[in-house]
Amino acid sequence: MVSIKSISSTHSLRGKTAIIGAGISAVGRVPGKSALALAADAAGKALADAGIGKHEVDGVLSSSAFASPFHRFSVAFSEYLGIQPTFSNTLQVSGATAATMFNIAAAAIAGGLAETVLVVGGDSLLTGLSPDLALRSMTESRDQQYEMPFGIPVANTFAMTAHRHMKEFGTTSEQFAKVAVIHRDHARRTPGAQMTGPLTVDDVLNSGWVTTPYHKLDCSLISDGAAAFIVTSAERAKALRIAKPIYILGGGECYTHEHIFLMPSLTTTGAVQSSAKAYAMAGCGPKDIDVAGVYDCFTGTVIMMLEDLGFCPKGEGGRFIEDGQITYGGAIPCNTHGGLLSFAHSGMPGSLFHFYEVVNQLRGSCGERQVAGAELGLVHSLGAGFATNATTILGTEATL
Amino acid sequence: MINPKDAHIKPQPTPDADSQTYWHGIQEGKLLLQHCPACGHVQFYQQAICRECGSERLEHRAASGRAKVHSFSVVHRAPGPAFKQDTPYAVLLVELEEGPRMISAFVGADPSVVTFDMAVELVCEPVDGGVALPRFRAAGLQA
Repeated sequence: MVSIKSISSTHSLRGKTAIIGAGISAVGRVPGKSALALAADAAGKALADAGIGKHEVDGVLSSSAFASPFHRFSVAFSEYLGIQPTFSNTLQVSGATAATMFNIAAAAIAGGLAETVLVVGGDSLLTGLSPDLALRSMTESRDQQYEMPFGIPVANTFAMTAHRHMKEFGTTSEQFAKVAVIHRDHARRTPGAQMTGPLTVDDVLNSGWVTTPYHKLDCSLISDGAAAFIVTSAERAKALRIAKPIYILGGGECYTHEHIFLMPSLTTTGAVQSSAKAYAMAGCGPKDIDVAGVYDCFTGTVIMMLEDLGFCPKGEGGRFIEDGQITYGGAIPCNTHGGLLSFAHSGMPGSLFHFYEVVNQLRGSCGERQVAGAELGLVHSLGAGFATNATTILGTEATL
Repeated sequence: MINPKDAHIKPQPTPDADSQTYWHGIQEGKLLLQHCPACGHVQFYQQAICRECGSERLEHRAASGRAKVHSFSVVHRAPGPAFKQDTPYAVLLVELEEGPRMISAFVGADPSVVTFDMAVELVCEPVDGGVALPRFRAAGLQA
């Protein structure tokens, strides 16, 4: 279990900023929309949700997009939306980018670089690229000298960690499959989710290999979709009379390696350090978290993250899943929207959907998916074979 | 920008200023590791400084070529068209006798024989008419 140390309040971002607006585009198969158009759609909804106009945004942070490959997506997006921000950047730490955008938005606002930051990401990996090119676009993130010549898809880096987890801790294919089943059950309650058909453990085990030990249905989706958020200072949230601001309480990141062969341990990741930092800043621990968004690019990834985020001891993630601890009534309901496995995975923006769900859970606006009494939430984003890890802790006014 | 025609070409390693000696060694059948006389660290891959102590005085020494499989994954769905005809193939994360780990591929037998901690040995052969790559086969086959 992670030990919690308090961080000097002068250096803490705890409660200084809040998410005041959130929006997502249609997700899944959304043909005929560029990544920029999807992002603009989500941004329009986030602005409307916050009740502010686009000219009240003075900062833009974005991920990049494979289907709209601008070198400066955040700058291109600002032009597309018709704004001229005085703070902007396009962040690139693969799947971890989502949480880093919130951490950096909070720091930029607390440090005076911006007052109101639009956090946005969108891509159209399903209809904007052919499936082979979508895969290729992911493999190109591996090193061209020491990894790519051996035909290593990004899935393979995650697969090797999961495989090692099976060897060291006895984790089983059935436990991996159960992760997919729980996510599907969640997606079936989520309007607009990409995959809503029933799913069993046997369906996953019989879905054919992608890269061992992962079957097709152990792998996340390829999707179109975008999400956007408005982050501002706690003072401005108050002045705007936002009904239910969701405060950023803590953030942490960790980058342990670039090449998968230099990962210090294949079964313990930088999520240990990134979450420890976030917990310390937020002044809470894993047992305090009511609802979580845990990056689920593959089923085994979730099992390893439950351990590294401190929700269960190392090596017991598989049993934790079997016991139903990540769904309603369990220790920590995770990815109640269905995650990357069943809701949508449009690449780097994918983890923004976890934020969208956790924000709505904390607002109490999830209807039949609502986790009763959710006040404190955690989102963990990661990427590139666990090279990049970023954690953000969110809370309602009651947690301040 | 992603060019569709490139998706069918297998990526070849392009040596950079740090790695010329390494790839030259591979073409001659030697896997060169960097040894740091200052601190004793042994590292893969080649770079200008020791990752432990920062020393720029690094010596290249050929690895024994003996390794064991730390983890692996058998690829059934290739990362793009270039690798489709090779499936299923085993990607290995091997641990060299000298300590460093590296990514490689399994050759010489069906990928289904690969297991954890399996002893493997280095094979440097040209791949598909391109440059030689450091790959591994089950140890002792041609002892």
